[in-house]
Amino acid sequence: MNPTSTAHVAIAGAGLLGRLTAWRLTRAGYKIDLYEAGSLTDSSSAAISAAGMLSPLSEAVVSDYQVYRMGLHSLVLWPQWLEALGRQAPRHFHRHGSLVVAHPQDEGELLQFEADLTRVVGARNELVRHLSAQQIQTLEPDLNPHFKRALLLENEAHLDNRELMQSLLDYCRNSAEIRLFEHTKVDVGPHTVTELNPLKKRNYDWVIDCRGVGAKTQQPALRGVRGETLHVQTSEVKLQRPVRLMHPRYQLYIVPKPNQRYIIGATQIESEDTSPISLQSSLELSSALYTLAPAFAESRIVETDSNLRPAYMDNLPKVEFDHGIIRANGLYRHGYLLAPTITELVLTAFGQPATSDEFFPFVYDHRIPHNKVNV
Amino acid sequence: MSQTNKIADPLTLYGEQFASRFLLGTALYDSPQLMRDSIVSSRCDIVTLGLRRQNPAQGDGDSIWQYIRDSGCKLLPNTAGCKTAKEAINLALMSREMFDTAWVKLEVVGDDYNLQPDSFALIEAAGELISQGFKVLPYCTEDLIVCQRLLDVGCQVLMPWGSPIGTGQGLLNRYHLNALRQRFDVPLIVDAGLGAPSQAAEAMEMGFDGILLNTAVAKAGNPPLMAQAFANAIEAGREAFTAGLMQKRQTASPSTPTIGQPFWHQQK
Repeated sequence: MNPTSTAHVAIAGAGLLGRLTAWRLTRAGYKIDLYEAGSLTDSSSAAISAAGMLSPLSEAVVSDYQVYRMGLHSLVLWPQWLEALGRQAPRHFHRHGSLVVAHPQDEGELLQFEADLTRVVGARNELVRHLSAQQIQTLEPDLNPHFKRALLLENEAHLDNRELMQSLLDYCRNSAEIRLFEHTKVDVGPHTVTELNPLKKRNYDWVIDCRGVGAKTQQPALRGVRGETLHVQTSEVKLQRPVRLMHPRYQLYIVPKPNQRYIIGATQIESEDTSPISLQSSLELSSALYTLAPAFAESRIVETDSNLRPAYMDNLPKVEFDHGIIRANGLYRHGYLLAPTITELVLTAFGQPATSDEFFPFVYDHRIPHNKVNV
Repeated sequence: MSQTNKIADPLTLYGEQFASRFLLGTALYDSPQLMRDSIVSSRCDIVTLGLRRQNPAQGDGDSIWQYIRDSGCKLLPNTAGCKTAKEAINLALMSREMFDTAWVKLEVVGDDYNLQPDSFALIEAAGELISQGFKVLPYCTEDLIVCQRLLDVGCQVLMPWGSPIGTGQGLLNRYHLNALRQRFDVPLIVDAGLGAPSQAAEAMEMGFDGILLNTAVAKAGNPPLMAQAFANAIEAGREAFTAGLMQKRQTASPSTPTIGQPFWHQQK
């Protein structure tokens, strides 16, 4: 279908996907109503809790080849899209790669990581550099010198997710084409958005549901996967790039943020509990941090966080087209890695060409009998 | 599933019969879907699950638990991560309520590095839980006396380790494992430490009654296929044990009679 550019579109959920989609659609000439159940400035979105890593290789190990491919595609899109944000573009997008390390007694974990990587993405060793202790020290002088080996995944990147979320919010606020509805819980249906408190129904040409775990009441197949993080601040440690610590019992990462802040995460618990971080998790996270660089001992814990990742049972994202409604969800722990690619897929319903048709298998078009794909 | 109709060579635990001798753990999979596909191809009847890190009072893990329940397998809640008898008892009580079962895989961790069971706390917790009506399947070391004490307090199944959890090292102490088999008539299930189907087959050939594992399947490149490989190995090992293995000996004896061969071949 080719909706006219005067079509009126509702987007439910002002997380990363909702904000990106709103921005891209207004650029294409659509008028948007963007609904958010919570606060926009003090958002409870998983996108705020995320670490903002763009790491297709490291994530391939815990997901699959298609997530890896989508991640690579997003890595191409992100710099273009950030530039297109113009005056509002965030400043923090860094492509220094990421490091994977293991303590000397756990070096088997590095071998396992490499074996898993080769199994999922094939022997693309040009993307992985083996570093000696000395090379590690040259790249990241503040890391614990006891790391004897590391892998440098050269094409990986990270961005400041909170800055980006703010940029997108600024754009939405300044755009004459976007109406924002804050603290507005809704149900969605074909062509309709229903405000729940008080009940009020509005009709649209299109409704896009990107509420993440918030869509669970209407999509029981969704689940939330709890993740906990610590934010610390210190002037004693300087890291240029995300570092992943491979450990037999947990895999944790630390990502540098502006203002001498670091985020360390994340636990992964099959639970939809959003209560504060547990003592055990904070012990695990902080001891990992301490062993990565003992100078973190005097850093200040400036924030603890727990939130839910939206996922389907296969932990893969899904874009569903139906008459008058599109659902995009299940980005799980890959929000920033997948969001541009998923947004592109959503926009194909509006006649916007995707730059790659490789990812159409993630689109389920219920308007075509017998389901399967394609646009 | 426990069945009322006849099972050819059943595994009998606390009076309940199971067709499969493979018990599978539900942790560590890359996705719940992969976990359930693995359960299906493992052909197992019993799955273990832990609620250590959820907050059951609020039903926080409902999505995943329902998904596991839907597999149709018998649920065996564990007390993974507990470090004292008291912790383990509390978690077992919670699990009984949550999952509506008196069965529990009892684990009390004694050492943080190799997760070796704390035999003393284990025996204490087992005794207490059995007195409260639990059917306890204790995860224990292969120590003969510890195993005897667990039987003394009323356990009707023992689950000695092959090697520490998640190490994939196989059967590290064959002598003691054999001794357990020689001594005890109760069902013995090798729990933990197996990395390869051949190791599972070996345990079954030694006469163990079943295998419980998780990591070797969950962390395989293709978990459902690995689950099937283990299932096949466990069945092969069981059949070999039932059929009766030949004894090893020093003298070669040809399986084809040498009578018909020309005489110069028989000279030396």
